[in-house]
Amino acid sequence: MRDTVVIGAGLAGLMGALALADAGHRPLLLAKGQGATHWTSGTIDVWGAADGSLREAITGLVASNPQHPYARTGFASLEAAVARFRALTEAARYPYVGSFERNVLLPTALGALRPAAFFPATMAAGDMRLPGPVLLAGFHELRDFFPPLAAANLAAQGIDARGTYLNLPPIKRKLDFNTRSFAQLFDDPAFREDVGRQLRAARGDATRIGLPAVLGLKDPLAVVGHLQQLSGAQVFEIPTLPPSMPGVRLYTIFRDALVKAGARIQIGAEVLRGAAANGKLNAVFSAAAAREQEHHASTWLLATGGIAGGGVRTDYTGAVWETALGLPLRAPTGRGEWFAPRFLNEAGHPIYQAGIATNEQLRPLDESDTVVYKNVAIAGAALAGCDPIRERCYSGMALATGWHAGQLLAGANE
Amino acid sequence: MATIPHDHIELSLENSLDHCIKCNICTAACPVSAVTDLFPGPKYVGPQAQRFRKPGQPTPDESVDYCSGCRVCNEVCPTGVRVMELNTRAKAAIVEQNGVPLRTWLLGYQYLFGKLACGPLAPLANVGARNPLLRMLVERTVKIARNAPLPTFSTYSFRSWFKKRPKQQAAPTKKKQVVYFHGCSTEYYEPRVGQAAVEVLERNGFEVILAKQGCCGLPLLSNGAFKPARSHHEYNVEQLLPYAQQGIPIVGTSTSCTLTLKEEAPELLGMHETAVRLVSENTYDIFEFLRMLHQRGELNTNFKPLNRTMPYHAPCQLRAHNLGRPALDILELVPGLQLNESNAACCGLAGSYGYKAEKYQIAMDVGAGLFEFVRASGSDTAVCDSEICRWQIAHGSGLTMRHPIEILRQAYGDE
Repeated sequence: MRDTVVIGAGLAGLMGALALADAGHRPLLLAKGQGATHWTSGTIDVWGAADGSLREAITGLVASNPQHPYARTGFASLEAAVARFRALTEAARYPYVGSFERNVLLPTALGALRPAAFFPATMAAGDMRLPGPVLLAGFHELRDFFPPLAAANLAAQGIDARGTYLNLPPIKRKLDFNTRSFAQLFDDPAFREDVGRQLRAARGDATRIGLPAVLGLKDPLAVVGHLQQLSGAQVFEIPTLPPSMPGVRLYTIFRDALVKAGARIQIGAEVLRGAAANGKLNAVFSAAAAREQEHHASTWLLATGGIAGGGVRTDYTGAVWETALGLPLRAPTGRGEWFAPRFLNEAGHPIYQAGIATNEQLRPLDESDTVVYKNVAIAGAALAGCDPIRERCYSGMALATGWHAGQLLAGANE
Repeated sequence: MATIPHDHIELSLENSLDHCIKCNICTAACPVSAVTDLFPGPKYVGPQAQRFRKPGQPTPDESVDYCSGCRVCNEVCPTGVRVMELNTRAKAAIVEQNGVPLRTWLLGYQYLFGKLACGPLAPLANVGARNPLLRMLVERTVKIARNAPLPTFSTYSFRSWFKKRPKQQAAPTKKKQVVYFHGCSTEYYEPRVGQAAVEVLERNGFEVILAKQGCCGLPLLSNGAFKPARSHHEYNVEQLLPYAQQGIPIVGTSTSCTLTLKEEAPELLGMHETAVRLVSENTYDIFEFLRMLHQRGELNTNFKPLNRTMPYHAPCQLRAHNLGRPALDILELVPGLQLNESNAACCGLAGSYGYKAEKYQIAMDVGAGLFEFVRASGSDTAVCDSEICRWQIAHGSGLTMRHPIEILRQAYGDE
């Protein structure tokens, strides 16, 4: 009943579904669980190693490493994908800022510096290359966010930063807190009034204040604006441990746009296997009560992720396999080849490059470089030829390949 | 060769503990912990507390009682942990320790009230059931919330309607037969849902068989009263097995009854006999069934336009089938009809949860966003597949509620 099916609800799958919806399709998106969005910081990391222009870095990578997913999409597709992504988030009043000219350095919850190309406007004042003393503030009640520790780590890197704890404003509920419950609290103006007063008092000479990225779910930009007005300083969000509210916001924005465009999202539907004939995938089967659910479509986009996202699995026997369709993988053979001798190896570990090899059209290839299914495209961390965490290109590569694959499939369908 | 464990579900639940990576996505999605401190969230109560639940030892955490069983945690878990099943089994362990409370018996056997009050006595029973004094008394004694939405007893039962209607032409082949599982609510409260279902199935050339059937036992099951739940399921399996053996589909309009037949009872009770499995594999939600017909090109799509826009809520009990949105997939074939889906995780009532005095307000708070969504639609009618959710949404929003099969019946028009 739906001619395209996307498997995976991370950024690659969502972006692929958006490309298909933009082209007039009504894709069905299947995912095992809530997508990788909820695990991520919400920044768009294009290429972490680049010190200068990302445009030049990616163009150089495309020329020197033709196996890399960016080489499949080219810089133009990455640029188009980011532009579409920014238009989407802008329309939802959650604008992203940044550029391909240079990475900014944003603080992590531990006070390390993370390069990012594009990021929510709510994080903008956190660029640690910008001048100005920094105050980091948090709450004892929010676990895994320690402002004094993060500030000390920033200070050790030469940044004028200090950290403090705020008192939890009087609220009805007291038992337990997580990132979502704090985001709900920040949606309430009265709660912000109290926090804002405390920030003003604690501000000292700081010109900007970093808070955990829990500043509301409904309208974070307005929450940041309100806190800036109350505190008299710039306010920025720092990504937290999961569940990441910036990731949840992104998922919600994609979901609403996709559903509005006629797409259907089915979370909780793990794809277990496919059925193919004559080099074409005809059906997939997802887990359901009592029996598998059978889905038919003419084109498919696989974006189930790599080892971290669950699209690629390994076991102690040294086996490495792709979980949804059992596609052939490019992976080091045997456990002895998986890892470099040094744990913190600068070139990474070979196993993290495991993934599906594709041709120029992102179609999956077998060991002899023959297309496995001509109506299936692959996007995101399921692709071979990159180590997205180490290269810090997880989200940029997901957007670029998702967008590119979606467009290729939309074209193939016409 | 590996030996098959006696209860492979128990094993898969135990194994699923190790798949929990503590990412808290379930905690962020849980509609109950979002509104109350009494439930700390699925991760703590499920996979974490489970490590401390050992046979013969006291239960480590009574807060599992505040899990509504909506299964949103299962739906969103990225690593496949079956939190709701862990929680329900933990509830059963508490029931095993303390015995089945009177209230669980009342909620579990509410169909007996239906049996008594449905029919000519219904108007009187409805007045009685809405008597504030009586409800107050019931709340004081057995802690059933006085404001919780009780359904209206019907003046006739579904089966009596079915018996009285003119005999339909038998279907030409066995393939065109279905068993209709109406459940208690269609039988005693909303026979119109069953009427619509029968007529839709007949418009598609099916002979509808009304097999003997009893309550699916879910109200007992979800409250941890496993022993009586088992006998309910055994009875239904016995009645439905002959049809399942012939490959005749068993089709239901109550998403919770069909889920119980398909998965809840077999898995929670560890019933893996061939008969149980056969019934499970032959049971379908009605829109799942119609969607299968459509996939095969066999659905009668001779629909009249219905120029209406209405809000639609996919109940958590439907979502637990993991079938997507079968009702939307079919109803979008009707010209002019537009259903706008809510993003609400749950209406709050979650079976019998919102009927409990101490949980009534939690259920209303969980449903608040959904009530607001349907009210803001401007429609006087909203659509939902599950009866309990329909009652709760009507209670919380004031809208008239319809099962999607009633809408589809309208789209077929009069012959």
